[in-house]
Amino acid sequence: MKRNALLLTALWAVASLTLHASEIKGKVSGASGVSVVWVDAIPGKTFPPPEKHVVIDQKGLMFQPHIVAIQQGTTVDFLNSDTVAHNVFWISISGNKKLGHNLGTWPKGEKKAFKFDNPGVAPLLCNVHPEMSAYVVISPTPYFAESDTSGNYKISDVPDGSYTVSAWHEGMKQQSKPAAVKGVVSVDFALTK
Amino acid sequence: MNTGIRTGIVSVVAGVSLTAFLVLMLPQKVDAIPAFSRQYGTSCTTCHTDFPKLNDFGKAFKDAGFKFPKDDETFLKIQPTMLGAPAQKELWPKTVWPGTIPGLPPIGLRMNNFFQVVGKNRGNFDALTPANTISPFIPRTDFETGFFSIFTAGNFGSEIAFWVDDDISVAGDNGNGGLGDGYLKFVNLGRLIKLPKDSLSLRVGQFELDLPFTQARSYDISPYDIYQEANIGAMNSMFAQQNVNNGFAFSNAAKGVELSGGHNYGGYQYSIAFVDQNTSGVDQFANSSPFVPSATGGSNGGVGFASDSNFKDIYGRLAYRFNLEHDKASRNDVQAAGSMGPRDHTSLKLGSYYFYGRSVQRVLGGGATPVIEAREPFYRVGGDFNFNYRTLNIYGLYMYARDHNLLPVDSTGALIPLPLPGTTPLPVGFVKSAPAKFNGGFIQADYLALPWLMAIMRWDRVQSSADQINGIAGLTASSFSAAFDSTRDRFTPGVQFLIHANIKASFEYQYRPRQYVTIVTNAGGLPVPINPFRTNAATVALEFVY
Repeated sequence: MKRNALLLTALWAVASLTLHASEIKGKVSGASGVSVVWVDAIPGKTFPPPEKHVVIDQKGLMFQPHIVAIQQGTTVDFLNSDTVAHNVFWISISGNKKLGHNLGTWPKGEKKAFKFDNPGVAPLLCNVHPEMSAYVVISPTPYFAESDTSGNYKISDVPDGSYTVSAWHEGMKQQSKPAAVKGVVSVDFALTK
Repeated sequence: MNTGIRTGIVSVVAGVSLTAFLVLMLPQKVDAIPAFSRQYGTSCTTCHTDFPKLNDFGKAFKDAGFKFPKDDETFLKIQPTMLGAPAQKELWPKTVWPGTIPGLPPIGLRMNNFFQVVGKNRGNFDALTPANTISPFIPRTDFETGFFSIFTAGNFGSEIAFWVDDDISVAGDNGNGGLGDGYLKFVNLGRLIKLPKDSLSLRVGQFELDLPFTQARSYDISPYDIYQEANIGAMNSMFAQQNVNNGFAFSNAAKGVELSGGHNYGGYQYSIAFVDQNTSGVDQFANSSPFVPSATGGSNGGVGFASDSNFKDIYGRLAYRFNLEHDKASRNDVQAAGSMGPRDHTSLKLGSYYFYGRSVQRVLGGGATPVIEAREPFYRVGGDFNFNYRTLNIYGLYMYARDHNLLPVDSTGALIPLPLPGTTPLPVGFVKSAPAKFNGGFIQADYLALPWLMAIMRWDRVQSSADQINGIAGLTASSFSAAFDSTRDRFTPGVQFLIHANIKASFEYQYRPRQYVTIVTNAGGLPVPINPFRTNAATVALEFVY
C-alpha cells in the first residue's frame, strides 16, 4: 500500500511537470542565417551548468561552428585542427571589456578549455587570421535555441511563467520581449541593425 | 584665448591636417599577392606584416612553393582544377604526369601613386644645362602616377610553383612596363634523390637573385643605394683612370637557373645561381642577329640574345637563422607560440653572399685583330644580418665590390686616355692596373608600433671615389651624378600606414648626399668641386592591391 502511494506520487509529479513544460517558438526576421533566442535570467532561480563540454574547432582557417549557444557555466573546448598556429581571444562579452580574454596559442590536435561564467555574447577572434570570427552566445538559463537559417526557432520544456525572451543575430541589435509562457507561445522578433 | 596658445593650436591642427593629407595621398611599390587571399579565403596579414614585408608564415609559404607548409589542400577555399586523376601517376610514363592548375586564375593587381616634394636646390642643376638649351623643369611639388602591375603566382601540383609579375603601365605610359620575375620553381626536388626535405629546389627563368633583402619586393619607397650601384671606373684624365664600365647592379633581374635549399623562417638557407652575363646593359630585345636566330626565331630574329659573353655569372648565398625562443617546440615551428598568439620568432639571421662575373668590353683594335676584348673578372661579396625582437626588426648589409681593371694601350705600349676615342690611336692590347672598387651597404630599423603602423629608419652608404671623380669631369656615366664626396650617406626616415590590409600609405623623407655644380681649379691644377648642396625629397605613396 505504501509502495503504491509512492508510485502514485511520483507519477503525479512527472505528469505535473509535463503539463507545465511549455514551448516558446517563433521567427527571427530582419536578417538571414542562424539567430539565437533565449530566456533571460529568472530572478531567484539558478541552474546547474551542464557537465558536457562544447567543442569549437579551428579548421581550414575557420571557426567551426560559427555560432554556438551555450548555457551559462558551460565549458567550451577550443580545438585546433589546423596545421597552422591559431589563437582565440575575445575583447568583451556583450560589450563588457572586463570579461575579455586571450587564450594564447596551441598546436594542432590540442585544445584549450574555457568556462563561460557570464551571460552575453562573446565574439571570438584569431589575432593571426583576422578574417576568422565566431560567436559564443551564453544564455543565463537552459532555455535557449539556435534558429534555422530561415530564422525559425523553438525552445522546449520551458516552465510556465512570465519571462523576458531575447534574440541575437550577428551584426544586428539584440532585442528582448516579455513573454507569458503557458503552453505553446509564439514570440517573433524583427531585428534591425 | 591667449594668442600664443591659439597659434599653437592652429599649428598643431595644421600639422595634423597636413600629415593626414600626406598619409592619404602617398603610395609605394609593393608586391603582395591578393590572389592567395582569394584562394585561401584569408587576409593579407596572414603572410604579411606591412605588405609586402613577409612575416614568418609568409616566408614559409613562399619556401613551400606558394603553398601552406602542411596540408595545403585543407586550407584552399577554391579547389584546384585537376589536370589528370592522381591515379594516372601509376600509368606513367605512358601518360602525362597529372598536375593541377589553380581553380581560379590567381591574379593580383597593384596600383600606386605618389606625391613628392623636392628641395629647392633642385634648380641648381640648371647651371649644368648647355647654353641655348632649356633645362627640364623640376616642380617643387608633384602628383605622380606610379605603377600598375599584374601578379600571378601559385602552384601546379607536384611541388612546382610559378611566379610572373609585370608592370603593365609605368608613369601612366602603357609602353613603359616590363617583366619583373617570371619563373618556375621545382620545390623540394631533392626528394627524388632522397635528400632531406626542402634541401634542394630548382628555379628556372627570370628572377631577382636570392638577395639578403629583396629589392623587387621592397616595402620602402626608395631603393637601397648599394643595390643600385654599378661599377663605372674613374674616367677623368686628371686622375688615375679605370677601364671599367660594368653595368651590373644587384637590383637587376637575372636570367638563368638557381639551386636552393633550406628555409627562410629558421635554420640554414642557401642558393647558388648561374645567370646570364650582361654587363654592357644591352637589352635582350635589342640584341638580335639577322643571321643567327635566337629562341622562337626562324631565319632571323626571335626574342633576342640576353648575354654579352659566353660566361655565366655565379651567385651564391649562405645564411643561417637562429630562432631564439626558449621553448624548443616553439623554436622549431614556423611561428613562435606567444602567450597572446602566434608571432614572428625572436631571431638572428646571419648570412653572406658572393657574386662572380666577367665583364667584357669589346673595342676596335689597332693591331691584327679588328676587335679586341677586355675580359675583366669582377666580384661582389658581403655579409648581412637580420635581428627581430617582437615588433622591432633591425637588419643590414655590407658589400664590397671589385672589378679587375685592364687599361688599353697603343702599339707603343702607351696608355690611351679614356674614354676611348674610337679613332686613332686604337688599342692593341691591355695592361693590368689598379682594380676599381666600391663598397657600402645599409642598415634599416622597422618598428611595428601597431599592426597597421610601422616606423622606418634607414641609413644607406656607398663609398665610390670613381663616382666622385667622374662627376668632376662632368660625366654622367656614374651611379650617382655629381657626388661631392666619395662617401655618400643617405638617411631615410619613414612611416607606413595600412588603411586596410590591402591599402597602404607610406611617407618617406630622404636626406640625400651632397652634390655640386660648381668646379674650381686648385693650386695644384686639379678640379675641385665647391658649394655643395643636397636635393632632399619627401615622398608620399598610396598603394592598393586587389
